[in-house]
Amino acid sequence: MRQRPRVVLVAGFGGLLLIMAGAEAGALLFLNSLRHNDTELQARFLARNRTLERIRSNIYLSGTFVRDSLLAPEQSGARAQLATLDGLRRDSESALASYAAALEPEEAAPFQDLHSQIEAYWKVLDRAFEWTADERGKYRYAFFYEELVPRRTSMLQIADRIEALNEEALRRGDVKLGDLFGRLQLGLLAMIAVTLLGGATLAGFTIVHILKLEAEVQQRLTESVRSQASLQELSARLVRAQEEERRALSRELHDEVAQAFSAVLMEAENLLDLNPAPEVRVHLDSIRGVAARGMNEIRDMALLLRPSMLDDFGLLPALEWQAREIGKRTGLRVQVASEMCGELPEEHKTCVYRVVQEALNNCAQHAQASAVQVCVRHTDGQILVTVQDDGSGFDPERGRGLGLLGMEERARHLGGSFQIDSQPGRGTLLRVTLPRRDVVVPEPEPATELVWNGVPYGADSHPAG
Amino acid sequence: MEQIRILLADDHNILRDGMRLLLERQPGFVVVGEAADGRETLQLAQDQSPDVVIMDIAMPNMNGIEATRRIVEKHPTIGVVILSMHHDESYVIRSLKAGARAYLLKDALKTELIAAIHAVVEGRSFFSPKVSRILQEDYIQALGRKDADDSYELLTGREREILQLVAEGKTNKEVANTLNLSLYTVDTHRTHILQKLNLHSVPELILYAVRKGIIS
Repeated sequence: MRQRPRVVLVAGFGGLLLIMAGAEAGALLFLNSLRHNDTELQARFLARNRTLERIRSNIYLSGTFVRDSLLAPEQSGARAQLATLDGLRRDSESALASYAAALEPEEAAPFQDLHSQIEAYWKVLDRAFEWTADERGKYRYAFFYEELVPRRTSMLQIADRIEALNEEALRRGDVKLGDLFGRLQLGLLAMIAVTLLGGATLAGFTIVHILKLEAEVQQRLTESVRSQASLQELSARLVRAQEEERRALSRELHDEVAQAFSAVLMEAENLLDLNPAPEVRVHLDSIRGVAARGMNEIRDMALLLRPSMLDDFGLLPALEWQAREIGKRTGLRVQVASEMCGELPEEHKTCVYRVVQEALNNCAQHAQASAVQVCVRHTDGQILVTVQDDGSGFDPERGRGLGLLGMEERARHLGGSFQIDSQPGRGTLLRVTLPRRDVVVPEPEPATELVWNGVPYGADSHPAG
Repeated sequence: MEQIRILLADDHNILRDGMRLLLERQPGFVVVGEAADGRETLQLAQDQSPDVVIMDIAMPNMNGIEATRRIVEKHPTIGVVILSMHHDESYVIRSLKAGARAYLLKDALKTELIAAIHAVVEGRSFFSPKVSRILQEDYIQALGRKDADDSYELLTGREREILQLVAEGKTNKEVANTLNLSLYTVDTHRTHILQKLNLHSVPELILYAVRKGIIS
């Protein structure tokens, strides 16, 4: 199916171009032949006209000769004049012959007429030269005015008629050429009409096809945007669900399981208080030890899942706890600084905490860093979190682990951005920017929830100074 | 000998039962009430006016720290002993700032519990060894920071003496008697100490003393 429009387009445009090229070539050839015909027509007309002129002037000249010789008092040099006359006669005969070679049909009759009259005319002239002096004197005027002039006039009239016919032929030729030209014009017009029509059809087809393609592309784009959005939504929901589960698990471990251990501890205390036998006391001590260890382990586990400070006191105490924990575990020196007013919304708090946690873990595990600075700040319209270490650094273009991707994902869910600035050997600066939403200002009486409303811990937890 | 009236605040029944049993077996202790959440604790503190409240932090309906703040605010004579699972300094410090005098972890021995109760009744402080250690570590760490200087050095010998006595929970009158000074002089010294250490209340002063290892 995909192939069909392509074939139509190629055939259509190709055909259109071929038609145009063919029509143009044909028109050029036709124009060329028209010009050729026109030139030929003109040349023929002129040649025939010249031939007629030759005949006419021969007739005139011959008349003049005859008159001059008749009017001469002596018949002297008649031979020479006869020879001249003979030349004129031969010349006009050859002119007649050449004219007869291409004769228009309607010229045939007058031409025949002219030819026979000229023949007769020559014969009459011949006769006049055979006269004696007396005869000449006696007949010459009569011959001249009654024989020669009428004949000559008649012949010239015939020649005029033929000339008119010749002109008529020229005009006819012109008309014919005009017709041909008209046909060419019509042909060209038809060709233009055909190409316009073909072009319009093709353009219509192309437009329809392009619109169809556009609609298809639009649809696919919409689909892909939608599926991307739903993917992001899904991953955001997964992150939220995971956090919720961690929070629930942490609370459950802390409030139920650890408390059960502490109840066991208390009961063991109670039994010990009854002054049991020494061997019982040994077992009770053992129970106490196991329960105490269990309680501490469960509590630590709960903290690792989600530190209760995050929900009880807010972001900064949780970050400081995290910093202390990492410090105790790995010897990494972590400084936490914060410029914040009020507490962040729940999702932002969790996002910042998890990002910093991941970053600190990276510092401890991969970066071979000795000191890290964590800074959380509210600036104009946004929350800026930076984590700077003095570790080995890496090339962010090359390898981004799952941890970094996770951080980026978390930041993006809240409409924020995530940047890493690092070079091998130069430490790593991680920067997360979150758009600042309504910051939760602590309520004066957070009685029903486990939210701390005291003075920020960082402000005066250090000894005076 | 007058009995020490104790109020238990913990949202776990088993634990409260066990504790009541343990405490009531001790001579001189009487448990006057049990509360399962913060608000109930406030109410019972008001109604029963106990000498000591043994307080859990993680409780529904107002946490133990906030309950401590309100009780100490309203009834300064009630001594609060925090008995919590939390051993992080953020909990310890907030509890002390709220006015708690003792902080025990839930794996505390009976002897620690009894010692803590007696301490707060006498106006002194008491901490689980682990908690003391955490506070002192925190202080040492703070000393290690460049910006922290040791304002303790600013105090005179007499001021240090008074600091210790006040931190131990002695009233101005008791301090005056002990050191053979006039009440007015002790009061002046106290003001100077708070100024020099940049502290604002007795709980802060106690916290400072604990961190410094002046008292434990």
